[in-house]
Amino acid sequence: MGRKITIEPVTRVEGHGKVTIRLDDAGKVTQSRFHVVEFRGFERFVQGRPYWEAPVLVQRLCGICPVSHHLASAKAMDIVVGTGPGHLTATAEKIRRLMHYGQMLQSHALHFFHLASPDLLLGMDADPAIRNVIGIIALDKDLATRAVLLRKFGQEIILATAGKKIHGTGAVPGGVNKNLSPEERDRFLKGPEPLTIDRMIEWSQGALELFKGYHRKNKDVIDGFAEFPSNHLSLVRKDGALDFYHGVLRAVDADGRKVLNDVDYQDYLEHIGEETRSWSYMKFPYLRALGKADGWYRVGPLARLNTCDYIPSPLAQKEFETYKAYTDGKPNNMSLHTHWARLIELLHAAEVIKELLCDKDLQGTKLVKKGRRAPEGVGLVEAPRGTLFHHYRVNADDQITMANLIVSTTNNNEPMNRAVHWVAMNVLSEKPEITEGMLNRVEVAIRAYDPCLSCATHALGRMPLEVSLVDASGRVLQRKVR
Amino acid sequence: MERRLRGVDGDANYQLNLEDALACAAHDIVVFVDAARGLSRPFAFTEVRPAAGLPAMSHALDPGTVLAITARLYGKTPEARLLAIRGHSFAIGEGLTRKAEGNLALALAFLEAFLKGVRK
Repeated sequence: MGRKITIEPVTRVEGHGKVTIRLDDAGKVTQSRFHVVEFRGFERFVQGRPYWEAPVLVQRLCGICPVSHHLASAKAMDIVVGTGPGHLTATAEKIRRLMHYGQMLQSHALHFFHLASPDLLLGMDADPAIRNVIGIIALDKDLATRAVLLRKFGQEIILATAGKKIHGTGAVPGGVNKNLSPEERDRFLKGPEPLTIDRMIEWSQGALELFKGYHRKNKDVIDGFAEFPSNHLSLVRKDGALDFYHGVLRAVDADGRKVLNDVDYQDYLEHIGEETRSWSYMKFPYLRALGKADGWYRVGPLARLNTCDYIPSPLAQKEFETYKAYTDGKPNNMSLHTHWARLIELLHAAEVIKELLCDKDLQGTKLVKKGRRAPEGVGLVEAPRGTLFHHYRVNADDQITMANLIVSTTNNNEPMNRAVHWVAMNVLSEKPEITEGMLNRVEVAIRAYDPCLSCATHALGRMPLEVSLVDASGRVLQRKVR
Repeated sequence: MERRLRGVDGDANYQLNLEDALACAAHDIVVFVDAARGLSRPFAFTEVRPAAGLPAMSHALDPGTVLAITARLYGKTPEARLLAIRGHSFAIGEGLTRKAEGNLALALAFLEAFLKGVRK
């Protein structure tokens, strides 16, 4: 009799989803699916609300990257108030960037130290009771302390620029509502120790060294795990540089050929389609030029370092060169190298924060600009987990009449399914016994993409996730719920 | 509350996370306050202890886990309480209902008395 595996919830993942793996009578995997079983509601919720409320309202989709939603929505509403990209005041643009790079710092630090490092440093087969942040504290207290302080520093940057650590109000249509005071700037630049930007740069470098050291000793674990070819999509600056806040849309295929050549994201609907499948609430985006079957793509740190030509900060650029050399300059399709890419981005975020803190424009007083009203706007940012699309239409009474959000985790829907399938085929298939460590590898594959399922389903509230093993008759043989 | 009582710091979070351990370690008494479903009375005030085992992890932590991290990382175990205030409607975009406002007032009056008692 065949079998089916279900894992729910996948731990250390934000939101609620479910993995189902079906086995035939011989224990061979016949199907694997990563589904999201939560209702999406946010796009309808914002309909009828005044447009200026959107940047504040939409952040409530997410407790971990609210700044991304805040800024993507504000960028869309910039278009609506007639102040499109490149037309904000220098102070507004740089304050938003500082907010965004602060978020990138805290989110990437949280993911690596808190969610990913237990699998690497304690082992994928370690006792689940210690394979967590408490295990990391026991293993290396200094490392855990640095994780806490990197998170705190990023949150403090967000607090100083957005007004609140969570669900701030700093970005408004056409600009921002506050600048950075000299006192705030000096606190980040000069102390009190250890919460200074120089220390954050040093610790980001330390995190990279930690990963590279682990990688040198465990290439067999890291390199082959959930490796599969894909397209990659992200924003890049017009000159091809890595940019988390603004740019043009670029996609490359598994060999590095451009399949979306630096297009204006206001036209994203011409280039990106969204497919629905009956077994998941989460849609499956694809590049229209390649079609539904071949047009799926990855987003996030791995994709960004595959699409960009260089990183515009010296320390991260040096790391980028080493990283690119590892694949001879070709796109990197190894899922666990996402952690490597994420840590290079962590370092880049810290470097950019320092550069911005030293920029006098942050103390400027011209905060908002407005122009000719438009009925529609699209805003994109590179969120920690990847490209985030916000699209709104607004009527003459200033009410939102349509909202479409494509979040990073939705963009990574097919890649996460492919990663789960890789584990199902390479780790679980035809094994006489399914161990906890094997099931954890399913989660490791998903966690590499750091999904936020509450964002992806546009839902509010708590959403856990499960994995099940099911036989050919539909009987659940193993179910993982934590 | 922090305006009315000296020595009391307040912090508002969407969800608890790692760095909250730092704040817990810096205080003798920690009160976690949140809206609650399923309560039959206006509020409940219960003790919170550091979690013995770690619950399912995601990007957010529960109070017991924050206290466990506080203990392991900083060697501090502040006295901790959870003040759960009964909510009546959790629909998207809704403000506080009149009943919830009443529960909140009762809970805050209780908390103020508790904190004043602690100071004595």
